[in-house]
Amino acid sequence: MDCATLSIPGYDEDDMTDEAEILFALIRARYAARLDPAQLDDLRKTVEGLVRDVATLRATAIPDDVEPAQPFIPFRATP
Amino acid sequence: MTAAFRTIRELGADLRTGRLSAVALAETCLERLQTVGRRLNAVVTLTPERALEEARRAERELAAGRDRGPLHGIPYGAKDLLATSGGIPTTWGAAPLRDRCFDYDATVIRRLEDAGAVLVAKLAMVEFAGGMGYRQPNASFTGPGISPWAADGWSGGSSTGSGSAVGAGLVPFAIGSETWGSILGPATYCSVTGLRPTYGRVSRHGAMALCWTLDKLGTLALTADDCGLVLNAIAGPDPRDPTAAAREFRYDATGHRPFRFAVVRGTIEASEPAVRDGMREALATLRELGSIEDITLPDRPYEAMARVILWAEGASAFERLIEDGVIAGLTAPEDRVTPYARDAILAKDYLRALRLRAVVAREIDDVLSRFDAIVGPSRGTAGPRLGLEFRSAIRGGVPDVLGAIGNAAGLPAIGVPCGFTADGLPIGMQFLGRAWGENSVLAAARAWQARTDWHRRRPATA
Repeated sequence: MDCATLSIPGYDEDDMTDEAEILFALIRARYAARLDPAQLDDLRKTVEGLVRDVATLRATAIPDDVEPAQPFIPFRATP
Repeated sequence: MTAAFRTIRELGADLRTGRLSAVALAETCLERLQTVGRRLNAVVTLTPERALEEARRAERELAAGRDRGPLHGIPYGAKDLLATSGGIPTTWGAAPLRDRCFDYDATVIRRLEDAGAVLVAKLAMVEFAGGMGYRQPNASFTGPGISPWAADGWSGGSSTGSGSAVGAGLVPFAIGSETWGSILGPATYCSVTGLRPTYGRVSRHGAMALCWTLDKLGTLALTADDCGLVLNAIAGPDPRDPTAAAREFRYDATGHRPFRFAVVRGTIEASEPAVRDGMREALATLRELGSIEDITLPDRPYEAMARVILWAEGASAFERLIEDGVIAGLTAPEDRVTPYARDAILAKDYLRALRLRAVVAREIDDVLSRFDAIVGPSRGTAGPRLGLEFRSAIRGGVPDVLGAIGNAAGLPAIGVPCGFTADGLPIGMQFLGRAWGENSVLAAARAWQARTDWHRRRPATA
């Protein structure tokens, strides 16, 4: 992910770095055996971009009563 | 008589008067796909047996007075993520799946067959429709898609072959899919018309799932009118796809004027200079068709919202392929790595993106209720060159507010040619409409194409 660096109101850059490191450690633990150092470095940058994206989402206020736009439809086979 | 670069209505008229044979038309398309199409890396599989059988049937039926409608006897190509029966492979653009076959037809394929259309080819696409995070054109086992307008120019993705086959006049229309940019992108870079319908307008049954709540199937064709004719045949509810809406669609080719257009402040300015200049000229022409109002949208992280939804659902949709290591066999080196990063998306954040989407969907509908369409660049850049990395909104490299809102809110949009850069690369404009408002954006695009001739320019390579 090639997100440009930008400041996100309400979010501390160090917190985001910490979160990215923790999440990257999870990914490294799961998949490092399949990847070389350059690929792992690439993954780290992608994770940093994702963390930045979710930080912007978390910084956006959403009213409590807003539900996910994701309808679930109960299923019943006929009849 | 040449069959290339002729609209569905023109071909249909000739098929009905007997000036053109459906079989000869199919054979011409097959031949051009084999020669020009292969050069453009537009083709995965030609389907001559099925095509000639369907063409012979169309010829018999039309001769006997049984008319299935405007697509009867018209050849088309389908992006290779649509399941096809009869031993025709469905590869999803991915080398590890190059021999994989299904034993059924996707609903769209079936509906087109019912409408009398003739399937001549499965068309090339970016592997997994770009769902693995590619960042350069060479991301398909059939090679990078090439634009008919530049031998070293990318066709756009992920519906690469659908764009270049129509743009080179190899088929009158093609089916593509869009999760975020995969119809409007190739439509722009190949200088054709691309219609992304409302989410749920067209059944996704039998189509590869990249992102269940963002994937849409649509049409690439020479004109907006042709896109309307095809949508008329493929739209509608489908018990095999619970997200296919129970809303009937009837294409209205009569249209209306004057139009009320809106331009979102900043969307044109964020484009590269050639696109910006082209859009400003386009707006001058659009003012002859109606009013244009500059508007400002609420300040929301539209692109981040769409990205989180896309990557979270993609991680789940392709989980087996990722976990089993199948992605190690993909063409683009970055596609073998990037998917692993998506484990970093937490469920709570995905749900937050879905909740924000609900807010955005209401806000944008409120805005669009006052207009026929929002207009803006289909792509903020001209087509990238082969062999080079490109920047993409899907990876956060460039802004694409209209693409993020349009896809996340499931809104229809149509991309139309609107000029060329000084280097001869096409640029495009989109009309983004209200949910279920395909007829409005089609009418605006038809009016644009009645006033301009960008969609009638033909590439030398074809």
